[in-house]
Amino acid sequence: MQRSNTYLLPFLLLSLVLLFCLVLNLSFGSVAIPFSDTFTSILGGEIENESWHYIIWNYRIPKALTAVLVGSGLSLSGLLMQTLFRNPLAGPFVLGISSGASLGAALLIMGSTLFSHWLIFEVINDVSLAIASSIGSFLVLLAVITVASRIKDTMALLIIGLMFGSITAALVSVLSYFTDADKLQQYIFWAFGSVGNLSGTQLALLAVFILIGIILSIISLKSLNALLLGENYARSLGVHLKKTRFIIIIATGLLAGAVTAFAGPIAFIGLAVPHLTRQIFNTTDHKILVPAVLVYGAILLLLCDLIAQLPSSSYVLPLNAITSVVGAPVVIWLLVRKKKMIF
Amino acid sequence: MSVGYTSRRKNTAVANDISFGLTKGELVAIVGINGIGKSTLLRTLGGVQPKLSGSVLIKNKPIETLKSEALATMVSVVLTEPIASKNLTVFQLVSLGRHPYTNWIGTLSADDQSKILKAIKILELEPLQNMKCYELSDGQLQKVMIAKALAQDTEIILLDEPTTHLDLYHKVHILKLLQRIAHDTKKVVLYTTHEIDLAIQLCDKIFIMNGDTNNFGAPCELIECKSFEDLFPKDTITFNPETGSFKINK
Amino acid sequence: MDSIAIKYIALLSLLLAFVSCKEKNQNSLPETLKNGLVTINYAKGFSIEKPATGITIIRVFSPWPEAEEAFTYCLVSKKLKTSPDLNSNDFDAIINVPVERIITTSTTHIPALESLGVIDKLIGFPETRYISSEVTRKKIDKGKITDLGNNESINTEMAINLNPDLIIGFSINNQNRAYETLQRSNIPIVYNGDWTEETPLGKAEWIKFFAPFFGLEEKAEKIFKNIESNYLNAKDLAQKATEKPTVLSGALYKDVWYLPGGNSWAASFINDANANYLWSDTKAAGSLSLSLESVLSKGIDASFWISPSQFTSYNELNEASRHYSQFKAYNEKKIYTFANTKGATGGLLYYELGPARPDLILKDLIYIFHPDLLPDHKLFFFKPLL
Repeated sequence: MQRSNTYLLPFLLLSLVLLFCLVLNLSFGSVAIPFSDTFTSILGGEIENESWHYIIWNYRIPKALTAVLVGSGLSLSGLLMQTLFRNPLAGPFVLGISSGASLGAALLIMGSTLFSHWLIFEVINDVSLAIASSIGSFLVLLAVITVASRIKDTMALLIIGLMFGSITAALVSVLSYFTDADKLQQYIFWAFGSVGNLSGTQLALLAVFILIGIILSIISLKSLNALLLGENYARSLGVHLKKTRFIIIIATGLLAGAVTAFAGPIAFIGLAVPHLTRQIFNTTDHKILVPAVLVYGAILLLLCDLIAQLPSSSYVLPLNAITSVVGAPVVIWLLVRKKKMIF
Repeated sequence: MSVGYTSRRKNTAVANDISFGLTKGELVAIVGINGIGKSTLLRTLGGVQPKLSGSVLIKNKPIETLKSEALATMVSVVLTEPIASKNLTVFQLVSLGRHPYTNWIGTLSADDQSKILKAIKILELEPLQNMKCYELSDGQLQKVMIAKALAQDTEIILLDEPTTHLDLYHKVHILKLLQRIAHDTKKVVLYTTHEIDLAIQLCDKIFIMNGDTNNFGAPCELIECKSFEDLFPKDTITFNPETGSFKINK
Repeated sequence: MDSIAIKYIALLSLLLAFVSCKEKNQNSLPETLKNGLVTINYAKGFSIEKPATGITIIRVFSPWPEAEEAFTYCLVSKKLKTSPDLNSNDFDAIINVPVERIITTSTTHIPALESLGVIDKLIGFPETRYISSEVTRKKIDKGKITDLGNNESINTEMAINLNPDLIIGFSINNQNRAYETLQRSNIPIVYNGDWTEETPLGKAEWIKFFAPFFGLEEKAEKIFKNIESNYLNAKDLAQKATEKPTVLSGALYKDVWYLPGGNSWAASFINDANANYLWSDTKAAGSLSLSLESVLSKGIDASFWISPSQFTSYNELNEASRHYSQFKAYNEKKIYTFANTKGATGGLLYYELGPARPDLILKDLIYIFHPDLLPDHKLFFFKPLL
């Protein structure tokens, strides 16, 4: 599509905002570290307070990078789902995919007494939670797709997604009922969502999954644009529907699944960011939307994490609460101005 | 060939004994009463639905053997279903018609650009070029969808009820446009309609779907064979062969 | 001469450290090292070895239930002239002792620190409001102990900023991400599994686990011996009782009655106090979940009712369920609870100090069941229900 150079300026601005938010996120936290020390440390210099150095390099920088990956990954998966299902209310949460990942995690954490004899769950720790969550989200996504191929009405599809979400939530609550208080608390804390405390390996794994998701999305850019007309038109334009669906599903599953596995279920980002992006960039061309959504999602999550850290206090708010407070009004606003909603 | 709906429980044949061939440069209409299966037939021909039995040959090649991209360069469709996203500009929507020809990321070459602009010109959409589709009227949107099919530069264009929402002037306008496209660019333009009078006046050939007796030919031939007489119940409507139109029995 | 002696000691330490550190399996320890094993009589969750001067090896076998592997920690005295050459892969943490700045994560750790006299080395604790001990509360009020949020998501930044020498951690499994970040910041984390011990003296013996970090092993021995003899004496005394009353415990939560299993820590006290805990024949070491009917049928005539969950008064019981008034212990006002013994900010003293002072718990119960045996005892944890 034409006029991609008119988007250059907004993109440049957006990248600057991203950089700014990144620095902001690194500068604030439970411990008040002066800006000058933060900058010196980031740029590789020496600061006299060793613990501050540790905090910045072992905690804040990995956390900020995680926030960027999580924000962009979730937003992209939301965009893919909205286009694939041609429904503006689609998103990893609404379609029950985050719930599927939660079920996977719940089985691992709370069902571990049942499965403790399976060596695999004890041996690999970093990866087992990620795998369990990814499998959970994939299964729900597959279920939703299977149903979607038989249903033409997209509103019915959303309700079905919500129902899947309810089923998985019900299973989780059964597990919660039978588990010990400690394991329940651990699961609940996981469900709050958090981008802190990922190890280098975990961060690398997350980055790989997100990268694969992004690559798959780029491969499907053309088909995504064609899908804007509907499946039949897309097919008539030469799009391989089955192959495209498959690739987009894998991409979505990887993105939403990996994020939920490492950071817990994070609400509303997948739903709200694509809409925000569409409104601000005023386009449906995925060549613009895909990168825009990545940057926007990163910015939003960096800001939400900053707020969640409650600078200068020992307590940290659940990330989910902050993203919901930001995201829910967006959804409400969307529904209210539905007539003019750009999709 | 037969066309119909397939379901997991049984195949419901909607219409049987369909057989006709299409030649370049013709405007052909499929007519029949409501529910006879015109849309089903068109969608089957366009590869949107699978056929029940028989064969659909494009240039003597069965349609199933053609790959998606290859088929997309031969057949383009305009359907009755609404598009999912109306947030595209007219230009963007028409340019989607070039999908089978662009590279992996969809960049438009100079050739693509010229074909798009030509389609826009033929459909007289230039003043609307940069408007968003949700700002257009039904008739204008219909023209945009036809422009897209035109930009796709296929030898066959299939349209499902392209004139349904339009007033008489626009109905005729569109049909005359289609006729000109068919004759000038030597494409096959096949459309379904229940506006039989207009079809008789404008089309080169007509395919009458009447359940099990389906007739195909030029309008005058069909009139001579009295094919139109049995289309509607005689006590309500009669066909006048001289004027080639229907009259209501009062 | 001196330098040779020092070198010899250092070399020996090195050698022994190297050899002992390589061995993870206790059974294959060479004879010399077996002599360095500190005697632990009751606790099953840890062991302490002193293979050489200035080196202590602590193994924690059950940091949490069903732990697959033991954790091995190497404590190196700061007094050693040359630091021994230790392979950090052999240990889960290497700690230089005595430590000066410590973070602990469970209220059960507080009594050990207090009785060893090192409470002022505590600089951080998650959710300080649960601490009941007055001494420690004073320190919290003065701001000497930083609140670190919830243990499950412990505030990493603040913990790092406190610059601790050691964190004594508590976890239910190996998945606390915050602990991993802290370890990456070179703060040693040592898991404490005192909560997995099932016997009264076993839990109390964990004071010996804390001692080596401060070089106070002898003091810990003395303290524990004292508690041990108090406990065993009280237990013997209880045997002199003429009657063995029946005892009920627990209460309903929603539709399920939770009470201690026959092999649990709580049940041991009742048995040692020479009373008949009506479910002492069950095998569970944790809680039992029973229906109201089964508890009614077995315990309706129990003479005493100990620990009715979190209930603090007869009114509260009655409002929660009318079934409670069916029990004889309810009607004869023979219910005793620890729920009313709280610290200034609401923490339950029983959970904090109970594990460290089983002798006080036992004496409380003996006084309740056989008042004539301990006429001068003042109830400490257990009080009559209000």
